[in-house]
Amino acid sequence: MAELAERPGLPAPTPGSIDEAKRQKLLELVRGRALARPTDLAEDEVMVWPSLVVVEAVSAVVFTAILFALSVLVNGPLLDRANPNQTPNPSKAPWYFLNLQELLLHMDAGLAGVIVPTVALVAIAAIPYFDRSPLGVGILGTSSKGRRIIAFATVYSIVVVVGMILVDEKIGRGTQFGIGSYMMDHWGATEFMTGVILSTIIMLIPIFILVGIVKAIFRPTRREIIIALFTGFFVTYWVLTMFGTSFRGHGQDLTWPWNLPLTHG
Amino acid sequence: MRREQTLADRITGSALWRSFVRHGYPDTQRNQALIIASNVFLHIHPVKIKRYATKVTYTFCLGGLSFFMFLVLTMTGILLMFYYIPSSTQAYQSMLDIQSSVTFGQLMRNMHRWAAQGMVISVFLHMARVFYTGSYKPPREFNWVVGVLLLVVTFLLSFSGYLLPWDQLAYWAITVGTNIGGAAPIIGPQVNKILLGDFQIAQSTLIRFYTLHVIFLPLAAAFLMAVHFWRIRKDGGISGPL
Ligand code: HEM
Repeated sequence: MAELAERPGLPAPTPGSIDEAKRQKLLELVRGRALARPTDLAEDEVMVWPSLVVVEAVSAVVFTAILFALSVLVNGPLLDRANPNQTPNPSKAPWYFLNLQELLLHMDAGLAGVIVPTVALVAIAAIPYFDRSPLGVGILGTSSKGRRIIAFATVYSIVVVVGMILVDEKIGRGTQFGIGSYMMDHWGATEFMTGVILSTIIMLIPIFILVGIVKAIFRPTRREIIIALFTGFFVTYWVLTMFGTSFRGHGQDLTWPWNLPLTHG
Repeated sequence: MRREQTLADRITGSALWRSFVRHGYPDTQRNQALIIASNVFLHIHPVKIKRYATKVTYTFCLGGLSFFMFLVLTMTGILLMFYYIPSSTQAYQSMLDIQSSVTFGQLMRNMHRWAAQGMVISVFLHMARVFYTGSYKPPREFNWVVGVLLLVVTFLLSFSGYLLPWDQLAYWAITVGTNIGGAAPIIGPQVNKILLGDFQIAQSTLIRFYTLHVIFLPLAAAFLMAVHFWRIRKDGGISGPL
């Protein structure tokens, strides 16, 4: 009974004839103190002060120290005054958009710069409405199978994305591996058919293959398929960003990072 | 026997002190509860939480860190605003002044710039943490959606600030960025026109980006964060194993 008074959220096991409100009043009378004092801790609970506040304070101090040290040691970049008549080569967007700029080299600008990111954001926002099972909440990667799927999707995405960039570069950047340019030359395909439709298909194929392989190897739940897809997104974002920041030089040609002029930061 | 009153006792016993600190030293559970409940800033927290919610290896502090960086950015940003001039003819010079003649100006600018980059990274990684722990599942679906909006606002905050130094880096990065937006099907040209207020980056662009950067987007972010934090409480604190 004492336990009950401390956890008012729990349903009463035997309400009997006395209604709940009355029962609680009686309890209060018997024990001579207010119900559910905020300080009554259950087994698995801790006081926010000090247990959480201390974590926050320490991480704030550590983070401030790191930021301070970095800011003393490294100056933010400031190049020459803006000059509309002097286009730097290469010109680059801020680093977190360089993944889109990388896509832009391979397909239609509207597809790469607007449709792909919009679809990605909407898909991410929609995840909780597809995966509603509470299984695995609070466990990193859901299960050991989930973690193996993460590892697999990571390796798969790195290999596929790097491979696709290198192959497109080799065959002719923006020719959809030569298929697009072939369609244009021989079948009179339009820019729209190659840069948008064909490019979309080329992007979807590895995604379907990823899901297919994961299904075949892991017999995944819906949550685990989404884990594979999210991992694919996450890894692709960073791989494309790496290409954009560190491997694109003059004329957006592939180069090594140490040959780059300072164009972002 | 009465203990002798120390200076500390006198201060903490004074009417002045007791008018704004309404709890004793937090070494009892009662005072520990009061300190959280009676302080407007700490009251963002409940008085007690599940033990797992304090584990650093669960959240990696990423959400908290994102918020903290937002605060640092607000403070350093206000300091920079005292000196920065959002004019295409004076902006660059005011940057040079901030770096060379304003006391701690270079430091403020560096902290603002590096924290801005850090915030993009930490918000992104926070999203990954929330995803991989399945913390978006009901009842937290809506907060996940709020989070996605916060991610977008964070990108926009960083992007709008990027133009302000008015150097070659800023000018051409924003040219590339707004061209990407301008490539949108159907609405592209209008988007570009609305962003730039001109046919190329000019004074009208600078004042638009400046206004977005120093008032509109920070307010939008603060608004969304208020909803975000409120929802965490209403959804039963942060998620944990069943
Ligand atoms: C400015 C950006 C953001 C700030 C300041 C922020 C802040 C926070 C904080 C302080 C928490 C408490 C737990 C923790 O630290 O991990 C949290 C939890 C959460 N955040 Fe964010 N967040 C931001 C962006 C996002 C994004 C981009 C998403 C997802 C797309 C997201 C989704 C969530 C969800 C679902 C929770 C509840 C997690 C749980 O119950 O374990 N937030 N956020």
